[in-house]
Amino acid sequence: MTETRGPAPVPVEERLFSLVLALLATEAGLTKNEILSTVQGYRQRYVFAGDNASLERQFERDKDDIRELGVPLETIEPLDESGNNQHLRYLIPKGAYDLPADISFSPEEIALLNLAAMAWREGSLSRESRHALLKLRSLGVESIEPVLGYAPRIRTREAAFDPLTDALGRRVLVRFAYLKPGDLSPRERTVAPLALVQHEGRWHITGIDQQVGEPRTFLLSRIVGPVTRTRIPFENDARGTAETALRQLDEIWAANTAVVRARPNSDAQTRLVNRRGSIRRPDGDLTLHYTDLHLLADDLSGFGPEVFVVSPPELRAAVRRRLELTVATHQPARQTAEEAGRAETA
Amino acid sequence: MPKQPDSPKPPRTPGFVHAQDKLAFLLSLVPYLLDRDRVSVADAAAHFQVSEEQVREAVRLIAVSGVPGETSQYQHGDLFDIAWDDFEQSDEIQITHRVALDDSPRFSAREAAALIAGLQYLQAVPETLDSSVHSSLMAKLARGSSEEPSQVAVAKSEANAALVTIRSAVAGGLQIEFDYVGSRGAREHRVVDPLRIDSNNESWYLRGWCHTRQGIRTFRLDRMADLTITSNPNLYRPGDLALSENLFDGSGETLGVVLEVHPAAVGLLGEYLAEGTPQVERGAVVQATVRVAHIHGLKRLIASLPGIVRVIDPPEARRAVHDWAAEALAAYDDSGADEISSVVP
Repeated sequence: MTETRGPAPVPVEERLFSLVLALLATEAGLTKNEILSTVQGYRQRYVFAGDNASLERQFERDKDDIRELGVPLETIEPLDESGNNQHLRYLIPKGAYDLPADISFSPEEIALLNLAAMAWREGSLSRESRHALLKLRSLGVESIEPVLGYAPRIRTREAAFDPLTDALGRRVLVRFAYLKPGDLSPRERTVAPLALVQHEGRWHITGIDQQVGEPRTFLLSRIVGPVTRTRIPFENDARGTAETALRQLDEIWAANTAVVRARPNSDAQTRLVNRRGSIRRPDGDLTLHYTDLHLLADDLSGFGPEVFVVSPPELRAAVRRRLELTVATHQPARQTAEEAGRAETA
Repeated sequence: MPKQPDSPKPPRTPGFVHAQDKLAFLLSLVPYLLDRDRVSVADAAAHFQVSEEQVREAVRLIAVSGVPGETSQYQHGDLFDIAWDDFEQSDEIQITHRVALDDSPRFSAREAAALIAGLQYLQAVPETLDSSVHSSLMAKLARGSSEEPSQVAVAKSEANAALVTIRSAVAGGLQIEFDYVGSRGAREHRVVDPLRIDSNNESWYLRGWCHTRQGIRTFRLDRMADLTITSNPNLYRPGDLALSENLFDGSGETLGVVLEVHPAAVGLLGEYLAEGTPQVERGAVVQATVRVAHIHGLKRLIASLPGIVRVIDPPEARRAVHDWAAEALAAYDDSGADEISSVVP
């Protein structure tokens, strides 16, 4: 049997689990060499006095995997030997690892947290919420099912969501092309991401726009193409930015009003009356609040002839443009949109 | 009618895909087992909502794991140990020796953020109306996280008063009735046994047994009007009938509509695009066929996504979308043009 073939490989989870146990057990910390030569899953592949470069890269990836689970894997630099990373010591301080002993959850709270995790059952935070549920269940509390069943779902359909949450955690700048309504082509933005918020069902990223050096909020659905995560870190205390961003969006929502007329007993009337903050005026028209004129125009266009925009004029124009586009792209014969457009303008 | 249990639980873990998922399970299982002293494989699997084999596999790994120890040789005392006979003969787990690990782990920044944002979203649910419960729970999650939770937040969703009414009807075992405006525009009176509340971002839905239609139906809460609780006892209670995961199941529908959509916008078709719907790339656009009972719901969606999605086939569906928008446009033209309209931007 040769050195490289060796015995059956140790499963990855066994190596990761053994690394966590070894680093929890040590008080002084272990050097990289100690880890690679003694910990289960590494020691089998360790070459004494030889080249362990690939094993070292494995260790770097494993550290990332473990840290991603919220395990505080720390590095200590010996005071007298700074700069020499062969002497760095690794450990997981037990006090920083353990869930604080005074934190407990009631069966009702567990039921609520089950629902909160369930809301993320698809999309980028689904794995995180599953991990969080495993950790909650480790406390051994059984949940109490609510009277009425719920199946909540938060959607993260935008491709930008994943790289943005990632950049948020790593505190690095991101770059993306952003298409403002009315602009003909997207413009590249470099942003220090501070918070991701969902408002009125739409995801927004708030961050410091590096070109202007000021906070800006962007709609994820208007990000065109991929989000590039840079390696450029930024310093910022992000605490509370999500709440602030939501509050600001709400202020915009409250300040913007539109007046629309809905056909009596139509789908549009029922839904717009039930829309948050809508007010029925004495003349029967409805006053609506909105954050973004173009998004409201999209929604209203969907109601077709069931709704008529009274004001503001910009909203009216935006809805008309949309309806005209729908008409042009749905000409009866098998024409392309372009042909249809030419036919009408001619 | 067959009665099948359907308590909506978080998704059953369909086997762990990544080694990281298995690690999360191992780190969670150990403190649970230590706390229980002795527990059957079946109970542990039910508690964690995993398969019994997943539990057995994890226990076998825990039982041979440990720390290198003073000799760096993983000696017997450096390893976890379990009551092997009980495990192999009666499927029971008892850890008899433990090393290094005894407590539940903290949450990661992203895990805590996911739960906190989920709770914010759920503030619309009547079970959680008490906002003090909420803020104390969120504070606990933040404190139980190894880092400052990521800044992800969801605005409280507006579930209107309907949810409270529906919940009290279920608690009292009573039917509800309401007027419902369907996508065809007709207003109908419905009598329903509520079964479950589903949501999709800011949209909330009731799944229930509709006595008017004698079948399971899905209703948007914001399409309901004049909702009241009747004095009639319900025929079905939540859990009595099996509900599909999908809000809308188009598989049995007869009308196939061919849509052309920009690849980046495919997600906007949402529930219409069932999993596995074939998508054909044609140059810069994608073609997909969705199945619906009639065009009236779909035409609203298409009209709200102008220039992004269009109907290719059949011609009647195309015509329906065209007429829907054209009729709306006519109202503006009749109202006296307040601007010169450009035909195609």
